[in-house]
Amino acid sequence: MERRQDLVLGALFAVLGISAALKAAEYSGATGTYPMILGLVMTALGVIVAGKAWLRGRSTARPLTEHKGRAALTVALAAVYIALVPLLGFYTASALVVIVLPAVLGFRQPFYLALAALIFTLVVWAVFSVLLEKPLPDEFWLAQ
Amino acid sequence: MQIVTEILGNVFALGPIAAMIGASILGVFIGALPGLNPVMAIALLLPLTYSMEPLIALGMVAGIYNGSMYGGAIPAILLRIPGTPAAIATTFDGYPMAQQGQAARALKIACWSSALGGTASAIALMTIGPILARATLAFGPAEYFWIAMFGMASISVLVGKDAAKGLMAAVLGLLLGTVGLDQLSGVPRYTFGEPWLLGGVDLIVILVGLYALPPVIALAESADLKGLSAADLKLESVKVPWSEVRGMVPTWLRSSLIGIGVGILPGAGGNIAAFLSYNAAKSASDDPESFGKGNPLGVAAAECGNNADNAASMIPALTLGIPGNVVAALVLGALLIHGLQPGPQLFHQNPGLVGGFMLQMLLTSLLILAVGGAAATRIFAQVQRLPGVLLVPTILVLMVVGVYVINGRPIDLWVMFAAGVAGYFLEKVEVPLAPIVLGLILGPMAEQSVRRALLISRGDVTELVTRPLSAVIAVATVSLIVWPLVRGIIRRKNTRLS
Repeated sequence: MERRQDLVLGALFAVLGISAALKAAEYSGATGTYPMILGLVMTALGVIVAGKAWLRGRSTARPLTEHKGRAALTVALAAVYIALVPLLGFYTASALVVIVLPAVLGFRQPFYLALAALIFTLVVWAVFSVLLEKPLPDEFWLAQ
Repeated sequence: MQIVTEILGNVFALGPIAAMIGASILGVFIGALPGLNPVMAIALLLPLTYSMEPLIALGMVAGIYNGSMYGGAIPAILLRIPGTPAAIATTFDGYPMAQQGQAARALKIACWSSALGGTASAIALMTIGPILARATLAFGPAEYFWIAMFGMASISVLVGKDAAKGLMAAVLGLLLGTVGLDQLSGVPRYTFGEPWLLGGVDLIVILVGLYALPPVIALAESADLKGLSAADLKLESVKVPWSEVRGMVPTWLRSSLIGIGVGILPGAGGNIAAFLSYNAAKSASDDPESFGKGNPLGVAAAECGNNADNAASMIPALTLGIPGNVVAALVLGALLIHGLQPGPQLFHQNPGLVGGFMLQMLLTSLLILAVGGAAATRIFAQVQRLPGVLLVPTILVLMVVGVYVINGRPIDLWVMFAAGVAGYFLEKVEVPLAPIVLGLILGPMAEQSVRRALLISRGDVTELVTRPLSAVIAVATVSLIVWPLVRGIIRRKNTRLS
């Protein structure tokens, strides 16, 4: 497990390093030298990490997640939330994620959830829109 | 004298004072909530400080840092759950004290010890920092380059389990730092025709992703649906007798010195300072058997030690541009936001600002006594009644708002998301994140310095190591990188022989 992960990790960084070095070769003079050296060093380090894993022989368990389902769900909902922010507006999308995410993770107290969403959204609005006057994506229902 | 007056005038203005008080209170709350930590909180805070006065922003950083290091003791004592990694050693005696009905006494001792450790550390920063900064006046481009390399090498080699992975992370940060227009030639690098990449990868966007998203995913994975009941958090008020306070003085002095020493060393953190202080207190005790069973000196040593690390970790960060820990790296990020280049020139170009920040580290340490008093601690403890799953979306929303307000671009949200997901998996495969951040911070300085040095020497590479000072730092850097390899070979040989 651990061995396979390090092999993949080393290979990924080696490929990333060699790609960076090749791209840097397109830049003229000193502009390209520095990133090219970095790319080559990264490749060498990737090879070292993969090589060490290869030579290690034994492998111990090193789980990539504590709870695969919840981790995947959170990452997926975070991505949906980020996609919705420019479409629905910041506050609408945020209120939705504050309600949906805990519910999906197993929080089954609708009253407290709604209350928490309301209070939190109001606090964020008071701090960011009123106090700090930060411009945030407009709400779709306010669009002309 | 004029500079002292200027510093006092700037720090004791309404804005910085309010920032320090508010952030100290917020810091204790953050420390008290297991799953949240000062690194995440400061990463979330930084995007909001763009439009603020530097001393307001830095005052907030100082308050959150010192406040949260004390706050971490609250769940450590009440629940045996360290609020921050630095509070692990506090659980050893703090929790047994709570089980014996002495939770309030343990919290009071933790509060005083944190304040004293933080104060001693800030005094060390204010005295050692300027001396070290004066010594850096002799630095040229070659020394700046090697200092940047030494900083990255030390963090890369010392923070993780595998030096190669740490160095790999640092090089990733350095490469990310090259994205955008080359500052010397104006040629775009790694922009792939995307105009939004011309300005480079935004440090804060990456910081928020790397340090806030992984804990959010971890909180979701643990799915805490209940939080604590009010009965679990009932605390009785107590008085600690003067004789007991007097008995703690040697422990406080010893732990402060240990914390300061650990803080100055790059790569070591508050948790190491707390462990070392705890062990030293146990070794020095007439009754070492009582440690781990509710000895107040154990709480005093751990809390004093971890807070004594705080300001001391800023000594190499502010004078050399080498952060002692991740929070110090974030402070360097905060300085960059305000157009200040961390490194040897910082003290000479902005003495008022650096002096102001050092004073803020001192004041926020003392503020722990005010905001962490018995009544306040009882209030802070109540945050543990909040179910963990409610924190998951709230932190996510704060991340989004914080990143969006930097440039007003939705693309930054995706960069943050990608950095966060990558950070989550990199941590799982034991690649430390701090070197990535450090590479991103110090990379541009390293590149400019090495190219300037080579311009001066007309391309002669030996110029980088022929000056005595640059040669010393270069040798130290190479030794730091090579030493883990040599140690590994020696260990393998010894194992084979035995």
